[in-house]
Order: sequence, then structure tokens, then C-alpha cells
Amino acid sequence: MSGDIEGVGIVKTYKARGDVLAGQTVHALRGVDFRIPAGGAASFIGESGCGKTTLGRILAGLETYDSGRLSVDGVDLSGLRPKKREPYFRRIQMIHQDPYSALNPTRTVDAILTDPLTLRAKQTGRPKSWIAERQREVLSLVGLEPDYVLPRYPHQLSGGMRQRVVIARALTVDPDALVADEAVSMIDVSLRLGILKLLRELRETVGVSVLFITHDVATARYIGADGELYVIYRGEIVEHGPTETVIADPVHPYTQCLLSAIPVLHGLERPGPDRLTPTEPLADSQSDDGCLFAARCPFATDRCRTERPQLGHEGGTEQEHSCFHPARRHVVAVSA
Amino acid sequence: MTAATEPSTVDGASTGPGVRISDLTVAYRTPAGELPAVSGINLELAPGSITGLVGESGSGKSTMALAMLNAVQQPGRITGGVIEIDGLGDVLSLSPKQIRAARGGSIGYVFQAAQNSLNPLKTVGKQLLDLGRSHGVEDKRALVRQAKELLSRMGLSGERVLDSYQHELSGGMRQRVGIMLALVLNAHVLVLDEPTTALDMISQANILSIIKDVHAEHGLTTLVVTHDIGVVAEVADRVAVMYGGRLVEQGPTVDVLRAPSHPYTRGLITAIPRLTGDPDVAQPLPGRPPTLGTIPRQGCVFRERCAVYAAGAREDCETVDPPAYDIGAERLVACHVVEEER
Repeated sequence: MSGDIEGVGIVKTYKARGDVLAGQTVHALRGVDFRIPAGGAASFIGESGCGKTTLGRILAGLETYDSGRLSVDGVDLSGLRPKKREPYFRRIQMIHQDPYSALNPTRTVDAILTDPLTLRAKQTGRPKSWIAERQREVLSLVGLEPDYVLPRYPHQLSGGMRQRVVIARALTVDPDALVADEAVSMIDVSLRLGILKLLRELRETVGVSVLFITHDVATARYIGADGELYVIYRGEIVEHGPTETVIADPVHPYTQCLLSAIPVLHGLERPGPDRLTPTEPLADSQSDDGCLFAARCPFATDRCRTERPQLGHEGGTEQEHSCFHPARRHVVAVSA
Repeated sequence: MTAATEPSTVDGASTGPGVRISDLTVAYRTPAGELPAVSGINLELAPGSITGLVGESGSGKSTMALAMLNAVQQPGRITGGVIEIDGLGDVLSLSPKQIRAARGGSIGYVFQAAQNSLNPLKTVGKQLLDLGRSHGVEDKRALVRQAKELLSRMGLSGERVLDSYQHELSGGMRQRVGIMLALVLNAHVLVLDEPTTALDMISQANILSIIKDVHAEHGLTTLVVTHDIGVVAEVADRVAVMYGGRLVEQGPTVDVLRAPSHPYTRGLITAIPRLTGDPDVAQPLPGRPPTLGTIPRQGCVFRERCAVYAAGAREDCETVDPPAYDIGAERLVACHVVEEER
């Protein structure tokens, strides 16, 4: 199965509009490198406004980037004409956060799935009869009963079923990768795990890779414990490595703050002894000099405020990180 | 981590009042007749405690929270029950004038998506003065001073926030403004409906610690309504689990999390992905939450998704709606099987 996706130095800036910030440049992504192997899993975690959604949109072809290289199977997409680029973006499909607005309310599930399948049948020279067959196939893949959902409208389905329809629709075009941006945050809690489990299983049954974008580290771990975790802060990757390593042994204070913020299930767990909180909230006014996290970091030194750290393995860590003073801290809750 | 249950100060005045909800039933008028969204709920909020009300969408938790203000909207209607608040009496039998004064007065309410419950056309300060005017506050300066104090207590600059429009504030800041508006008139009972939904983890942790601190400092009785067990685990002394309009389990948070009794509570806790241990320990709950029309009319509302019922169907699960059995240690569980095996 092919479908390695690689990004090198992806930069995206927005020009702010409006009265307050007019003319200011917002750095959504400041040179991000990542690699998602075929069938693998990569998760991007970070706060609101750290650039993780922008990255997902760029991957799905919904957003352009200013500079850098995005390649699928080693083919650099940046240099291609739109017509040539199109087939590559077909291979990366997006699962949106809100299944309520991602489906057209005036169309039945049947119609929602028929359109992309008709296109796909044309592209691959398959007969019309294949469409109905494939419809049932993708619906069974996502755990839905075709006879029940096909004639129904989105409003007749529960949130969990709707999200499954969104996933089924993404699968109609035979993608290599699914980009799931907070894909379960609008779903009822008792149904969330079912969707996460489905995404995990699709990695095996269909061989798609999953790029999971979330602020909830535990869900990222559930989907891709064997994958890679990227911690992104203000458009920069600050820590990256195997998911289990970064969660069990984080060294960047920002990662440690993120992990500390996860609620502790008192009774089942005790809080980690080194639980950390940022000294200040995220603000637009925070300086771009030195380490981007310095203004909120409890351990920042003068060097942090003037010099920008680079990703590396300083201190001999397994994972990459960009901190001048990497230190192991036990922040994750421990089982009681 | 959990805030102390005991009164925050020795003199009784700064402890929140007790709240007793008995036999509360709220029904919605639908084409299929009047259907209960909340049925026969008994819940006591101990003075000065934080209670977490957990449930999924459609469980009736928001309806129940609104009933605390006697503010259930048409086509909903409170068809029975009593909500008694110390020093205020039965909320449901107050006169329209009294209830208007109580809302935002002695009962503070932070709405679901407080982010979007602010008026986009007015600065926060203007909305604060509106609130003061509608409650007949004479001393506007004191009101503003109080608001600034609350805001700075929550780590915001009072001056700046009062001069801001809602779009100039981040999600976490708006949530704090919502809490300020709920408390500025010295409320003693605070109801927070989904206070951290749509916030990222760091802002959530921040808001939760603010809720705990403000609760202790102001001597409140607090009800936190949420779908997230994690939120309850962080802030609440007691937890009440709602399903299909009923309270299926309640008890001290730590005990319920450690040893959940009701199959639904057990299922919910097992469905939380964790950061340590084997990820496969987490298991999804089968089926889906009922809607108003699909809540079983007879028997236990949870039986269609219940692992215990699936393992061996029992007749009373189908015919008798289980009452809240007292299983000791301040815990109540509405399950026939748990009661019988005890």
C-alpha cells in the first residue's frame, strides 16, 4: 500500500483583518516537518490557536501554504499544476469535527454516498452496478446497517451514526489517509470510543493512515499508541516522538503542561507529583523572540528569552524536542 | 484536590444553602403526547458542596438545571415536584417577581456555551450595568468594583474586560465573564451548565480550578452539569449520574469512580481512554442514548444497553422502573440487580 505523506518546513501566515489587529501577520505554522507512513498514525496535539487545524486543512488541500514542501509518495505537490495535484488530494480525506454540519441535511445517505462513488466509478472505469455494491461495502466497514441508513436523512440519525456516515463518505474515494480534526468532540461520550475504535480498526482493515488532530492526548493515544505524536505550539513543533514515549516521558515544559491539564479520575488515579501549569494564558502579545513558550514557562531563563531553541535530541532523549533545559517530570496521573 | 465539603468558614453565614430537589418531573409536549424528559428526580445538594450532574445529550440534565431557575421553556413544563433552597423556599412556587429576583440574584447560572451567551453588541460592562438595573441595584460603583474584583480573582484585568466586546475575548475569558456575571450579585447557589465544553485542555483545567476556588471563597452550593466524567472527577464532591431522565446513581465522587455500581456508570467509566496502562482496557458502550421518544415507557430505561441485562434478562427490568435503592455509604443506585446482589 502506498501513501507516505511528508511535510518539510511548511509555513503558513495569515494577514489579520479588522480594526484591532489590522495588518499584523499571524504565524499559523512556522516551518513544520512531519511524516506519516502508509497505514501509520500521527497525532497533533496542542491548545486552540496553535495551528493544528491549519495543518489538517493544508493536508486535505483546503488551504494553501506559503512555503515548504508537501509530498505524497515522494511527489512534491508544491510544484504541480492544480489539475495534476487533484488526484493526490483525493487520497487524503478529511473527517470534520461536526457531523451535524458536514452532511447536507436535504439529501439522504444514499444520495450523499452515490455522488462520490459515481465519480470514482468513472475514474476507475467500473460499471454502474458497482456503485450500489460499494455503498453497502463502505457502510458495513463503518459499522452501519445499509438497509437502515441508506434511505434516511442525516437528522434521522444519532451523532455517532452521522459521524460514521461522514467516515463512510470519506472512504468512497479510496483514500490513503484520513485527517480527523477533533472528530469526536461533538459526539456523546458513550459513543466516542466507538468512533475512535472504528478509526483504529480502519487502519488495519483498509490500510489507511490516520492523522489525528486533537487537544485530548488520551484519545490520540487510543488511536495511535504505535504511532508518532507531535506537540505543536504557536505554529512550531516543540516535541515529537513515539506516542508512548512522549506521553510517558515528556521533556518539554509545554508538553508537560498539556498532559497535566488532563482531568485526574480521583478514586482511580492520583495526580502526577510534578503536575505543571503555565504561568500565564496564551496571548497574542507574547513575544516571538527566543523560545515561543518562554513567556508562559515556569522554568524560562534569560537564554530562553533571547535565543530560539531548535528541535533536537539535547540531553540524549529518545524524542525530538526544542527546549534548552529538558527535564523529565512525572506529570501524568498514576493509577491509585 | 477536591474542595472541602465542610463549611469554608466557621460562621454559618458564608456556607452555601442546602438545596433539596424532590420528585421533580418535567415533561415536553410532543406530537406523541406529553413525554417526561426528567422524571421523579430526588437530589439533595448539601450546603457548601459541589455536585456534578453527569449525563449524555438527551439525558435531561440541562432541563433539570433550568428547572432550578424555574426557567424550562415551552413546550416543556414542570409537571410536579419541589425544589427547596434554604432561605428562598420552593423555587417552583415563587411569584413571578420573586423568581425574577432570584435568577441572577441568589441563584447564579452560567449558561451552556457561555461563550455565546453574551450580547455581541454591548461591552461586558454595559451588560453588567443592565444586570444591575434589572435587579434594582442602587450602587452602580460598588457593582463595578465587585465585578472587577471577581475578574482579577480569576486572573483577568477588570478594566480591560469590562470595556471589551465578547468577540475581543477568548473562549476561556468569556467563560470567566459568565461566572463573574453569575456571582456579582452575591449568589449563594451556582449552576454551571457545561462550563468547559469547547475549551481546550489547558483552559479547561484553568476554569475548573477557578470554579473550585470561587466556590470555596464565596461559600457557595454548586451544581456542575456536564457530559464529561473527567470534569466531575476534578471538581465535584458528589456525583449524580443521569440517564433517560432518571438519576441512576449518586454518591461521593471518589467512591463512585473507584467502584461504580450501576451498569451505565460502569460503562461510562470504562469508555474513557486513559493515559497509562493498556489502551485496550477502554471499551465502548453498546447502543446509543435514548431520545425523548425512544425512552422505554416501562421498566428500566437503561436495559437495552445494559451488559447485565444482556447476560441474563430479568423480568423486573422489563416491568418495574427501579427506584433509587440506598446501598449505604451515602450511595443510591437505581438497579434491581445491584439491589438484589447486595
